[in-house]
Amino acid sequence: MDDWKFDPAHDLGLPLNERFKSLRRESGLIGTMFHILWWSFIRCYLKVYHRLTVIGRENLPKEAPFILVANHASHLDVLALAAPCPTRLRDRLFPIAAGDTFFEKVPVAAFAALALNALPLWRKNCDPRDLEELRKRLVEEPCAYVLFPEGTRTRTGEMSIFKRGIGSLVASTLVPVVPCYLKGAFEAFPAHHKVPRPRKLTLTVGAPLRFPTVANDKDGWTEIAGKIEAEVRRLGGVAPRA
Amino acid sequence: MIRQRLIGASHAFDHKVTLWITVGIGAALVVALLIIAILSVAGVVKDPFRKELWKRTLAWAVMAPLLIGPVLLGAAWTIAGITVLSLACYSEFARATGLFREKLVSAVVVLGILAVNFAALDHWYRLFVALFPLAMIAIASVSILPDSPKGYLQRVALGLLAFMLFGSSLAHISYMANDWNYRPMVLMLLLGVQLNDVLAFVSGKTLGRRKIVPNTSPNKTVAGHLGALVLTTPLVATIAHFIFRGTALDHLHLLILLGAIVSISGQLGDLMLSSIKRDLGIKDMGVLIPGHGGVLDRVNSILLAAPAVFHFLNYFLNLGLDQPIRIITGP
Repeated sequence: MDDWKFDPAHDLGLPLNERFKSLRRESGLIGTMFHILWWSFIRCYLKVYHRLTVIGRENLPKEAPFILVANHASHLDVLALAAPCPTRLRDRLFPIAAGDTFFEKVPVAAFAALALNALPLWRKNCDPRDLEELRKRLVEEPCAYVLFPEGTRTRTGEMSIFKRGIGSLVASTLVPVVPCYLKGAFEAFPAHHKVPRPRKLTLTVGAPLRFPTVANDKDGWTEIAGKIEAEVRRLGGVAPRA
Repeated sequence: MIRQRLIGASHAFDHKVTLWITVGIGAALVVALLIIAILSVAGVVKDPFRKELWKRTLAWAVMAPLLIGPVLLGAAWTIAGITVLSLACYSEFARATGLFREKLVSAVVVLGILAVNFAALDHWYRLFVALFPLAMIAIASVSILPDSPKGYLQRVALGLLAFMLFGSSLAHISYMANDWNYRPMVLMLLLGVQLNDVLAFVSGKTLGRRKIVPNTSPNKTVAGHLGALVLTTPLVATIAHFIFRGTALDHLHLLILLGAIVSISGQLGDLMLSSIKRDLGIKDMGVLIPGHGGVLDRVNSILLAAPAVFHFLNYFLNLGLDQPIRIITGP
């Protein structure tokens, strides 16, 4: 008879505040409950307060793994991208959030982990092993990420260049990257505002892109980031970068 | 009467054994802290052993009031405390075995834990015993729903064992709280098994050489276990004599049998958790208690002792039968 395969929680043995920050965090019953409550509330909020419309919903994958990427103008972006995804993926859909903003203080980290189900990426002194870990988890679990390759919210309303980190997650794999463009977020909740205004949001979801033949090296990553950026610009009707 | 039993903290020390045990534990902690303080100041114990000693003893100083406090406050508090303890144990077990990924099974076990403690609070013995087979039906059924037969046996078995150990078993302490005189009994059980652990550790360290189950737990010795049995049995028998004076249980051979049950089932619970951890390939079940590991690492010896002691007492004494039954759901 074969042994049973026990697979203890991948974040086993970490104290609670370390668990919030762990890239290997897995949620239990309490986490799942919080995620479902939070995201149901956010769905209603976006529908009522921002009249969120989703164009191209059929392009949203029904199964993990996948990565949703979009232009980044406000804290509403992650909500608008993750909310339309199916509820049964809730535990495995991880927004990638800036570690220095969302994971330094314990109460904020608890919110990011329990409600948003976010995973941290540290912008300063980012450990390349973190990206390696995220790449591995994406395929092994499998799970899904929401991320903004610009790395920070636009301060002017203009899209900036996509960083190549996104490429290192998907180069030489069949993992689909779903490009999206969110319109209206900069008007609703720009970085210098404290509260969102009731402006309309429109999310356009593009066809998934795959990069199985692109080399998993710096040139390949840059190429992937460029292609995704061009597609996001096209979806939003933004002029290509010169 | 019901209200007095559930939340009547003023009755905390009605029975003098309750007072003795509480004072005894308090005094033991103060003495232990004083001894460590003197040893530290005199420089007899050095780091890192000194730090470890402080950490463990301070953890006891926090844990002891958390365990004893609810028992003194009233039956409702006792049951609430056991419920929280059960959920904490289940959480650690589920994360260590991977069962937490089976959200449906997990939800059933959690509901089962809540239900069995509710049955205890309600003083509804029929529901209390029915929940065991009912939980089996529920766990075996919801495990079908994901339609993935691979791993079916494993998730059903883990779910059932979890409910057995952390729901049904621990809830026997909750059920004991239906007796008007539950405080000394519960404290005797808690003190008995925890002291048993300490005595096994001490006698194992001083006398032990021959290993008892080297593959399961390389540090445990035959002498340690026998030492604990020899020391715990008369201690529990003596306390029990003062609690059950004049009852059907108050005969020397029965009191000694009770003491032996506490000691042996306590040690078996400890070895059971060692076996589980060895099988999973992990050292501690959690990190909640500094110096001790997880909650489960600390309460492992109560898991088997609770039902064993409960049914032994219940056979001779009819626990709680002087109290009204079905206090919530009844007519």
